[in-house]
Amino acid sequence: MYRVQEEVSLLRASLQGDTGAWGEIINRYKDAVFGLCLGFMRNRADAEDVSHDAFIRAYVNLRRYDLERRFSTWLFTIAANLCRNQLRYRKNHPSTEQPLQIRGGTDPAQLVGAEDRQARIREALNKLPYSYRAPLVLRFYNELPYQEISEVLAIPEGTVKTRIHRGKAMLRDLFAEGA
Amino acid sequence: MKHDELDNLLRDTLKADVAASKSCILGMEDRVIMQLGERSPRLRWSQWLAQLAAPTRGVRLGQIAVVGATAAIFLFIGLALANRILPGNNSPGLSLQPVRSADGNQEVLFVMPALDAESVAVVGSFNAWEGTALSDLDGDGIWTASIPLSPGRYEYAFIIDGRWWGQDPLADDYIQSFGEYSSVRYIGRGGDGA
Repeated sequence: MYRVQEEVSLLRASLQGDTGAWGEIINRYKDAVFGLCLGFMRNRADAEDVSHDAFIRAYVNLRRYDLERRFSTWLFTIAANLCRNQLRYRKNHPSTEQPLQIRGGTDPAQLVGAEDRQARIREALNKLPYSYRAPLVLRFYNELPYQEISEVLAIPEGTVKTRIHRGKAMLRDLFAEGA
Repeated sequence: MKHDELDNLLRDTLKADVAASKSCILGMEDRVIMQLGERSPRLRWSQWLAQLAAPTRGVRLGQIAVVGATAAIFLFIGLALANRILPGNNSPGLSLQPVRSADGNQEVLFVMPALDAESVAVVGSFNAWEGTALSDLDGDGIWTASIPLSPGRYEYAFIIDGRWWGQDPLADDYIQSFGEYSSVRYIGRGGDGA
């Protein structure tokens, strides 16, 4: 509760033009927003640009934010909409960067088998349609409940459940095929 | 693979991807704040108008100039469009009223004034957001494309020199997503759109 009150104080200070308070908000949410964008876009450069843009737009439009709502849901909605717009743009202007092919860990002692499994699930995620990938990212990276995923993606809660179920089935198939 | 196993693998992979990209978010707060500079959160329209009208604050010449310039731009666009599409001009084939074709579809005109643009396209739910180029054959800065559409609701936006332009003045509606807009047209029953 203390953390929530503190967050509201930071947001009120940000509304008064205190960019230092906004910096603290960014510090708290940058991993979550970047992870969302990276999961949606599957492209590191685009994810960096879009998450940066999301924090700019959220600040500029902060007066539209209703303090009664969860701030994270509002912020994730902005980021998700920007990702969707960027993906539409990318349809006409493909990126020169390869889709995400990051090695899972930097620890050389990490098991080769685990890295291979992560690489295969990463490839499978790259192939998964956006409409299935987005709810999976919000569920398994951002750990949002179905109702919040529904708000962020502006789709009914039942559709969220269906897409997560089907998305996992598609991932399992792609994984089995070796993506 | 078991359900839990897939869930855990997915969770671990997404987290590992972010962990391996830490350099991207290092110092992000500084970069954002530097770009924000002296900007403050934008006022709502009602707050802005109230501030503009407040007698104690005096006449805000700068803001009035912005209003005047915006009005002039819209007036220019309106005149350019009127010159382009009204009867009696040099382009008799252009009309904002949809024309029904033999197969039941309607030829819907998309118009976008973009004086210095090198390319203009329309992307939307009718072309899977793939982009249909608009043309400006006479070089007057008014770009047009006519697309056959069956009755329904269509979301779309223009791409002007690669930049998203979601607010078509001729749209029936807009979808707002915090600063980003898409336009909406209704074709056929209940409104013939453009």
